[in-house]
Amino acid sequence: MGLATNAIYYTFHPSQLRAIIQWKVWHNPVHERNEKDDTETQKACFHFLDRTSRSFSAVIKELHPELLLPVCLFYLVLRGLDTIEDDTSIPLETKEPLLRNFKDFLEQDGWNFTGNRPEEKDRELLVQFHNVVAEFKNTKPAYREIIKDITDKMGNGMADYCRKAALEDASVKTIEEYDLYCHYVAGLVGEGLTRLFVEAEFGNPALLKRPRLHKSMGLFLQKTNIIRDIKEDEDDGRRFWPKEIWSKHVDNFEDLFKLENREAALNCSSEMVLNALEHMDECIFYLAGLREQSVFNFCCIPQTMAIATLELCFRNPAIFERNVKITKGEACQLMFESTQNLRVACDTFRTYARRIHKKNSPKDPNFLKISIVCGKIEKFIEVIFPSQNAADAQRRVEGQNPAKDEARAKEDAESRKEIMFMMALMVVIMVVIVAVMLGVAWAMGARFDLAWKELRNGNLRPPKQFAERDAAMAGQVLHQEL
Amino acid sequence: MDGDTTVLRKVLITGGSGFVGSAIARAFAEHPACAITVVDLTPPGPTHVVPEQASFIKADITVQDEICRAVCQVEPEVLIHTAGFIPPLSERFGRKLQALVWKVNVQGTKNVLEAAKRAGVQALIYTSSCCVITDDLGIPHPNIDEQWPVSPSSLIYGESKAAAEASVLKASADTLVTCALRPSVLCGPGDHQLVPAIHACIAKFETPFVIGDGFNLWDVTYVTNVADAHVLAAENLLSSKTAAGEVFFIQNNEPVPFRDFCLAIWAHFGHYPPIELHIPQTLAYIAGFLSECFTWLRGTTTLSRGSARDACSVRYASGEKAKRILGYEARVGFDDAVRLSCEDYARRLGIELPAQKTKY
Repeated sequence: MGLATNAIYYTFHPSQLRAIIQWKVWHNPVHERNEKDDTETQKACFHFLDRTSRSFSAVIKELHPELLLPVCLFYLVLRGLDTIEDDTSIPLETKEPLLRNFKDFLEQDGWNFTGNRPEEKDRELLVQFHNVVAEFKNTKPAYREIIKDITDKMGNGMADYCRKAALEDASVKTIEEYDLYCHYVAGLVGEGLTRLFVEAEFGNPALLKRPRLHKSMGLFLQKTNIIRDIKEDEDDGRRFWPKEIWSKHVDNFEDLFKLENREAALNCSSEMVLNALEHMDECIFYLAGLREQSVFNFCCIPQTMAIATLELCFRNPAIFERNVKITKGEACQLMFESTQNLRVACDTFRTYARRIHKKNSPKDPNFLKISIVCGKIEKFIEVIFPSQNAADAQRRVEGQNPAKDEARAKEDAESRKEIMFMMALMVVIMVVIVAVMLGVAWAMGARFDLAWKELRNGNLRPPKQFAERDAAMAGQVLHQEL
Repeated sequence: MDGDTTVLRKVLITGGSGFVGSAIARAFAEHPACAITVVDLTPPGPTHVVPEQASFIKADITVQDEICRAVCQVEPEVLIHTAGFIPPLSERFGRKLQALVWKVNVQGTKNVLEAAKRAGVQALIYTSSCCVITDDLGIPHPNIDEQWPVSPSSLIYGESKAAAEASVLKASADTLVTCALRPSVLCGPGDHQLVPAIHACIAKFETPFVIGDGFNLWDVTYVTNVADAHVLAAENLLSSKTAAGEVFFIQNNEPVPFRDFCLAIWAHFGHYPPIELHIPQTLAYIAGFLSECFTWLRGTTTLSRGSARDACSVRYASGEKAKRILGYEARVGFDDAVRLSCEDYARRLGIELPAQKTKY
């Protein structure tokens, strides 16, 4: 958007502008990074982090110093894997061993890869991968182990997928395959991060005992991206929507983009949104297990952004025509709400669940299922933050309410005090204003002594003859001038 | 369900010809060795089918001798007491039927308890209702659990069920163990109250009106799920007895806004409200009052002060306790539940539902 369109947009959306300003002015990172002490290789790593992902680098850089570098390296390693997998110019026989052995390259001094085609966006990262390798060596062994293990799993997962794509049909058919694909590209990241958090004692160890939770964190994000990018992926010849879902609505995948099938395509997209929303309650559950503010922010921001994106995509025909995006103002508002605490974040989740719910149409074959999943989110939030409890209800039934009465009495007393204070303040202001006015009048030569005397004589208004005299004088002046 | 661990031999169901009772009889029929006796005022009919092997005894629970004779004749090991009186919607919020409701629900339950003691019944399960809590329309009930207090003054139905439930739980002893189940509002084949009333709004042009914000969640339960819960409770009371003297909320555990439930039913019948008119709760309350005056002159509408508050109340419960102790989880999901209920009602009306739009 140009400056003019921006100006017009924010004139009509002042709350978004306010959110941007608030975020820019008031947001302080929980942990400020000290760039001065960075070594050359560290600088290179952060440089690549900035280049590969702006949105991720911002949240990663605010992480607790303990995890800052490990998470940064973890991200770069996975990005490196991704760059090899994405490059269609590399033949399978080269690609497969590269992916499967990637975990070993992490420990080979000076390892780099120059075989990517020039148009590959993150080619440079692999060309200078020795920086990552050098930093990886300095990482704590426990973190190193986790990163290596996930790299191994993901590399093999990707290799399997590439093999399947090259030799047979790799299109996503069942919902199970869809979940598996999302697990490889995002669920594993969730596992690795969770293990890092727990290792650093920033997360509840119970998070590892319920692997469904961190799996849902990754799947929710990935599924949201897959829904949002439907048009872009189709243009690039990639299809991730599972056949099990789209075949219920259209005969061929490309029919989704035809104007005459809009209604069917929208119903299909809402079934995709429904499928993603099933993970929401487990994501909230996961967030409840985080113990450190910067880690909470790191995990929560992508989740609130995801539900806002889902809300934007839900029953929105534009997703079949172009790439839709939440506005910058909304993003700032979401970041602000995701960096407080779970309660604030839950309010955001509920708000967006209700917006989705509001757009839900009874003509949609999945109407009730979407309603059920929104109800599930709302019920889950009520479970962690109950709006009422049995003890209060008991007191209410018994007709006695000591706690509440006391609270109300206290409140009343406080408000009375406030009113007294306000009145006193008004009196003081009045006195000051009157004093200033009298002072000004005096400085300009007012004769209060005469005024006072007249008032004491009972003349509250200026005498009549003065008024006549003034008029006569005015007449004289006028006459002289003529 | 772990039907293999506990062998059920003889069960007696009061109100077994009714909507819930017949569903429970069908659920017990899944235990092939179990002899089922249905006790009711009228024999089972075609709308509420009971299994073929079930025998029928006519008895009135409000007459002590009659019910005692029936129970002593069968000597069941498990007695399920579902018989009760639900006032019709028009009388739900009034006090006109109070005497009748108390006679059937409270005195009737005491008679059944007495009969069970005399006949040497081992376990008694009372079909209570979530109304013991939620009929108190003054406050919302989000995610309530079994620790919530029973409101002493609500509506006649809730009050009577609460009193009956208390007497059942108090009676629980070593010789006769009891428990009470509190299902939410029910839907399913043979339902005369809920789906028909919502369907009737179409003909009365009442579907565009949304009372309140339209986000208030409700529990609705499919009738066979409630029946399953009764079988699980019976198995528990005959084996581990961990449910003795306890109450349980039973529902589908898939709360949806009441408005959505209505919209889904209308959609099954091919009706979509052409517009949506949002009516604030207070306005609806006033309109309800006017409508009541009007009804008094003219006939029936769905709207009254009580039903206005009903429609925007929040009422859903936690299913944790029933899951933990009884091992209860809904077998029929809510989406299917609504579809099956609508299909059944359409059959009864003799109409055909419009086809579903997706290809499955």
